[in-house]
Amino acid sequence: MKKIVLLCAAGMSTSLLVTKMQKAADDEGVACDINAYPVAQAKEVGADADIVLLGPQVRFNLAKIKEQCPNCPVEAIDMAAYGMMDGAKVMKRVKEVLGI
Amino acid sequence: MMEGLELISFQIISAVGTARSMYIEAIQLAKAGDFEGAEKLLEEGQQVFLEGHHAHAGLIQKEAAGEKCEFALLLMHAEDQLMSAEAFSILSQEFIDVYKKMKGNM
Repeated sequence: MKKIVLLCAAGMSTSLLVTKMQKAADDEGVACDINAYPVAQAKEVGADADIVLLGPQVRFNLAKIKEQCPNCPVEAIDMAAYGMMDGAKVMKRVKEVLGI
Repeated sequence: MMEGLELISFQIISAVGTARSMYIEAIQLAKAGDFEGAEKLLEEGQQVFLEGHHAHAGLIQKEAAGEKCEFALLLMHAEDQLMSAEAFSILSQEFIDVYKKMKGNM
């Protein structure tokens, strides 16, 4: 079970993407636990995550979040995929990074 | 219809959110003394911001044409992000100018 953490300003817009990503993961038979949180909780929720993804509006925090979550990959979500709520595309990227 | 509005809201959030990040990164570059990089990011930010602005303007034009837009918290959030990005656009230019001045005086 892979733990995927999405971060944005308030955890609001990314929570919709969670639903889309979960559906894509279920369709492909990938077991994962996906949740959205506000960026302020990064250190706490990133501690046992397999990957941390940032929404475009908090991308400028990338370096700081990498410091707060040193044990897993941290990267920004592709802007086009985010704008189209393309859960499958974001999921594809996660699988590439995690090698699953 | 809801699906369409949700999508437009996300297009706005994604575009202006990216722009907002670029404006803040531009300030950070100026702080580090890279003014050329800062100006470039600022310019890129304006381009991305416009994408979000066009998506939003499309909704307003539709409403003006009598096609009422349904209220959604997500759209309100998108407009909130748009306003925040717009403010950062103005402030980042000011910040870069101040950093330039500081560098000249030191």
